[in-house]
Amino acid sequence: MISQFFVLSQRGDNIVFRDYRRDVQKGSAEIFFRKVKFWKEDGKEEAPPVFNLDGVNYFHVKVVGLLFVATTRTNLAPSLALELLQRIARAIKDYLGVLSEESMRKNFVLVYELLDEVIDFGYVQTTSTEVLKSYVFNEPIVVDAARLPTLGPAALFMQGNKRMPGTAVTKSVVANDPGGRKREEIFVDIIEKISVTFSSSVSYSSISSACLCSFADTLDCYLLEAWSILKRLGVMLSNDDEQGYVLTSEIDGTIQMKSYLTGNPEIRLALNDDLHIGRGSVPSFGYSGSSGTGAVILDDCNFHESVHMDNFDIDRTLSLVPPDGEFPVMNYRITQEFKPPFTVNTLIEEAGSLKAEVILKIRAEFPSSITANTILIEMPLPTYTTRVNFDLDRGIVGQNADFKESQKKLEWNIKKIVGGSEHTLRAKLNFSQELHGNITKEAGPVSLTFTIPMYNPSRLQVKYLQIAKKGKTTNPYRWVRYVTQANSYVARI
Amino acid sequence: MSGHDSKYFSTTKKGEIPELKEELNSQYKDKRKDAVKKVIAAMTVGKDVSSLFTDVVNCMQTENLELKKLVYLYLINYAKSQPDLAILAVNTFVKDSQDPNPLIRALAVRTMGCIRVDKITEYLCDPLQRCLKDDDPYVRKTAAICVAKLYDINAELVEDRGFLDALKDLISDNNPMVVANAVASLAEIQEHSSRPIFEITSHTLSKLLTALNECTEWGQVFILDALSKYKAVDAREAENIVERVTPRLQHANCAVVLSAVKMILLQMELITSTDVVRNLCKKMAPPLVTLLSAEPEIQYVALRNINLIVQKRPTILAHEIKVFFCKYNDPIYVKMEKLEIMIKLASDRNIDQVLLEFKEYATEVDVDFVRKAVRAIGRCAIKLERAAERCISVLLELIKIKVNYVVQEAIIVIKDIFRRYPNTYESIIATLCESLDTLDEPEAKASMIWIIGEYAERIDNADELLESFLETFPEEPPQVQLQLLTATVKLFLKKPTEGPQQMIQVVLNNATVETDNPDLRDRAYIYWRLLSTDPEAAKDVVLAEKPVISDDSNQLDPSLLDELLANIATLSSVYHKPPDAFVTRVKTIQKTEEEEYHDGEGGYSESHAHAAATGASPPQTTSNAQSSAGRSQATPAPVPDLLDLMGMDNSSAIVSADPTTPAGPSLPVVLPAATGQGLQINAQLIRRDGQVFYSMLLENNSQVPLDGFMIQFNKNTFGLAAGGPLQVPPIQPGTSASTLLPMVLFQNVSPGPPSSLLQVAVKNNQQPVWYFNDKIPLSVLFSEDGRMERSSFLETWKSLPDSNEISKDFPTFVMTSVEATLDQLAASNMFFIAKRKHSNQDVLYLSAKIPRGIPFLIELTAAVGVPGLKCAIKTTGLEMAPLFFEAMESLLKS
Repeated sequence: MISQFFVLSQRGDNIVFRDYRRDVQKGSAEIFFRKVKFWKEDGKEEAPPVFNLDGVNYFHVKVVGLLFVATTRTNLAPSLALELLQRIARAIKDYLGVLSEESMRKNFVLVYELLDEVIDFGYVQTTSTEVLKSYVFNEPIVVDAARLPTLGPAALFMQGNKRMPGTAVTKSVVANDPGGRKREEIFVDIIEKISVTFSSSVSYSSISSACLCSFADTLDCYLLEAWSILKRLGVMLSNDDEQGYVLTSEIDGTIQMKSYLTGNPEIRLALNDDLHIGRGSVPSFGYSGSSGTGAVILDDCNFHESVHMDNFDIDRTLSLVPPDGEFPVMNYRITQEFKPPFTVNTLIEEAGSLKAEVILKIRAEFPSSITANTILIEMPLPTYTTRVNFDLDRGIVGQNADFKESQKKLEWNIKKIVGGSEHTLRAKLNFSQELHGNITKEAGPVSLTFTIPMYNPSRLQVKYLQIAKKGKTTNPYRWVRYVTQANSYVARI
Repeated sequence: MSGHDSKYFSTTKKGEIPELKEELNSQYKDKRKDAVKKVIAAMTVGKDVSSLFTDVVNCMQTENLELKKLVYLYLINYAKSQPDLAILAVNTFVKDSQDPNPLIRALAVRTMGCIRVDKITEYLCDPLQRCLKDDDPYVRKTAAICVAKLYDINAELVEDRGFLDALKDLISDNNPMVVANAVASLAEIQEHSSRPIFEITSHTLSKLLTALNECTEWGQVFILDALSKYKAVDAREAENIVERVTPRLQHANCAVVLSAVKMILLQMELITSTDVVRNLCKKMAPPLVTLLSAEPEIQYVALRNINLIVQKRPTILAHEIKVFFCKYNDPIYVKMEKLEIMIKLASDRNIDQVLLEFKEYATEVDVDFVRKAVRAIGRCAIKLERAAERCISVLLELIKIKVNYVVQEAIIVIKDIFRRYPNTYESIIATLCESLDTLDEPEAKASMIWIIGEYAERIDNADELLESFLETFPEEPPQVQLQLLTATVKLFLKKPTEGPQQMIQVVLNNATVETDNPDLRDRAYIYWRLLSTDPEAAKDVVLAEKPVISDDSNQLDPSLLDELLANIATLSSVYHKPPDAFVTRVKTIQKTEEEEYHDGEGGYSESHAHAAATGASPPQTTSNAQSSAGRSQATPAPVPDLLDLMGMDNSSAIVSADPTTPAGPSLPVVLPAATGQGLQINAQLIRRDGQVFYSMLLENNSQVPLDGFMIQFNKNTFGLAAGGPLQVPPIQPGTSASTLLPMVLFQNVSPGPPSSLLQVAVKNNQQPVWYFNDKIPLSVLFSEDGRMERSSFLETWKSLPDSNEISKDFPTFVMTSVEATLDQLAASNMFFIAKRKHSNQDVLYLSAKIPRGIPFLIELTAAVGVPGLKCAIKTTGLEMAPLFFEAMESLLKS
């Protein structure tokens, strides 16, 4: 059972501190902060989320820069403690609209009231905002959301797409709108985080003959390498093949719901008819998803406890009475192949002993009706790089490139990329010492972060969202939104 | 309510307290509420607002729930320091507990349970009794937890008032939330009691399994954890349980998923059908993998658990290796764990893919991660014979990049590869030698030197290479010096020419005369003598064939692995340590300033008398204002080092000191006064409430007061060590003090055959350090959960081969009655299983268990009134048998 719960600011200040069992000393917050801050002497390595210090076990998660911490002396389940910390953060956010140091300080009485209902004597009672509403009486004092970072995946919608009402995600579930009337609305967000690793792509000029020989020696062993050797030898058919092939790809998806409907009506969500669960469940696995047809196959999925699955096996509909607050209706995981939204082509060319040129080409492989936002492309450069000159495509606004000298990293920011377009960056590198051996081993990989609204590579869909009507209230607003975000999107070179 | 609460955080100026006092007594409700908020704000930032106690309590009688909650929050914090004033609140509490509003009823009971003041506790019983039977489930679920609170304050009261039975009734409650809390409460009480209180029968099992479906997610975790203690009768029951639990794997809450996994893994042990087991493995894989899509913190916990699971059941995730590939943005602690699992899952089938990944990781930025990736390649080479060659060529490729730490790490693993596959890959030595001068880390240097020495005959210029190292011999770290010494001797034995002969003289001279490292000197002398007496024998010794190594790094000992698997989903499974290594059951109650004050003034007489007694019997009366203070005992913090002890903040670590006699027989003398310059120490290990203590009595017969006592234990078979600092008050001449020092297990385990020897060092500020030897009676390690079911006893007895049986006669022992003997043994956690008559003799079967799950199955044969008893035991820990008989003998004697 949990002994203490506390929230610390980035500087280590106590924002909230609640002792449930009094078997851990009071100074624990300070002890914890010192330990985490100086986990390794160089301050580089992050402390693991669970550790034991002088008989006290500390659990912590980071949420919007705040440290949520629990302590215990018993052999507690860390999964419980860590999940709880996330849920407490979510419940507080539901109540306050915005989770931040400021909002928590302003509402500390409410937060304590919540904490008393969430945990009793170290035992979790409930984390459901819906249930908590019957026991918690303080009204939240709303802070100005505009200048604060928000929590959770739905925050993606804050990034200024006009079609989506961004304010909803910072609206408290208990506070009323300024007009005094609550707006009847419900948000269903399909959020997919994708991870893709591309194998090394071609870089003609960096292949030395020695390198080729060593590959040839072990050719038979390297089945996977063989393919790239062929490519390196120039057995290339078209330009499209220049970038590496997909080594691994994965989609972590969530159907997130946030309901502001009064009277808690029942809701039915219909997903794709041809949704399959379990990779073994599809008889013929011949068709690939990248072509855009075929079934959506989930490796695994799980559901919120409010979800009834009575009809799920028959017609892929989920029914639920959504509790107040933000919660995931369903989490799913897909390793079925999909078409990656971006392809990356990297070329490194040695230009003399102290110079090299990098050409980065990025192509948006999605329809032109869709636009990706805030694309950041990063690439570590050799440690002896001293100076980089950039050559950007002309006529494209909102992009810039930079060499972060302290991290020896190239950064290329692009505000928007329209589907189907291609962008190129040329960078001339200057080195302080002569190259030894293979430059491709000392630079890269190229990693991308981006957000693509109204696009999801899995093709999982909410086909309809039905709200069981109670009385003759006006038709509530229904928002079904899709967004894709890069998790680990890496092209090796 | 208007304005911002943060305004209450404005800095305290002089005169704020009187100001608040005035506001608290305002005639306006809103003003009073605001004032209480200010008080709470001050409290949370650590200001002392206890002087406002009376004024805040005066605000308690209100209909406003918001205000009431605030006052209650204040009370929980300060009642302890104002016990006499706290009584003012009792009336309102009792009244509130009968309020028509269920929220207020629950709030009253919940808060009263949190106030550890005896006068309040006394008044808690009646309201609690009512609330346990309340119509409202919210009140009942709050009351259920409150029983555990009360048990923590006063266990006897709980038993006397029949709250345990009331709690057991709640298991059948129609509200699943109430059931879950009752289960949690009972599980906690059981944890702290040595008597069986909460035993899951097949009847409760089915009730709980039903409740599982309706419960909230957190309740499901409580129930699953409680059920994991249940041992199914047979494979069929196990299959049934698993069937009911499997749907939990689909839950979005990862705590539920992991607890379900734990249940299933435990029950799988009993399931005999391979089809069912295979099917279960298949079902468990996707949810386990899905945990890796959660937040990185959860991923870390999942990975640590998966690490254990794949060691026991590698098939579960054999095809999922791709999901353990590191993501670019994984935190380092996740990456490290993923690497570990990748090595465990690497096989001939997937090694190419795995190597490609490792190679990539080895060029990343984080140095620790890169090193681990390089090592991982080596470990795969050692693990997979057929892939060894491919691993080596990847290592060679990495060496060619010439990144210093990569090269060094590669050389370290290549040395291991040579030891695993002798005479196979020596052709690469030439490549390795190219990097010789870049080596600057001791381990890499030592590895390279080992390679040169081991293959001296194949390296043409081995003597030159070694000689280059010899120049700096005196400056090298010991690890490198030792390798240099051995390598030079090897070189000399393989190539007894002039050059090496000179070298060896230099080395031996350096290593014997010029060094003050005893290890190095000893080794050098041994070589010297070997070489000077019989060079052929030296060859046989130094160049003997070495045993081939295998990759057992990070592989856990099977018995430890089993124990950890039984603790899946708990901290134990994340630390990879058994629970008793980091959890001490003795509870500490925080010392408030108030208590410290009492301690200082009143000495140890009153409060600590109770401290020692709490374990065995809680305070008899509840009217004793000090009894709860007396429970402030013992810190569970395992402190391995005396130096650390001294730096520790004492207020956080309080150990009981009991000047009156500790319970039980008088303690044996371990340090006679004659030896200890007047200090006599009597001590013995004892077990109380599932916890091992070192019970000590220190007697000062010297002329000076003694203070600053500290204690340390040498490595021993069970790794017993002090669970906190030794807290002994200064002892005046002619007086004595006794103490109960909580002990922890498996801190500093000494290898080698088990021994009951316990070496202790005690020091104080006035005298030298005293060393003395004590014995570890094995019986103090017999755990409370050592009772075996009759059927499993029988099964285990049969399943253990006869070679695991050993017996001993106790010819002088006379059994006066069977019951007396059993009672005596039961007191030491030796549990009676069955009895049968064999002619005129009684044959008794008992079971006992020591930590790490080693069971003892005991058969005693004796006749009442006739001298002689035969004791036969069967156990998996046969090496413990001598210790067992030693303990048995002393138990029978007493």
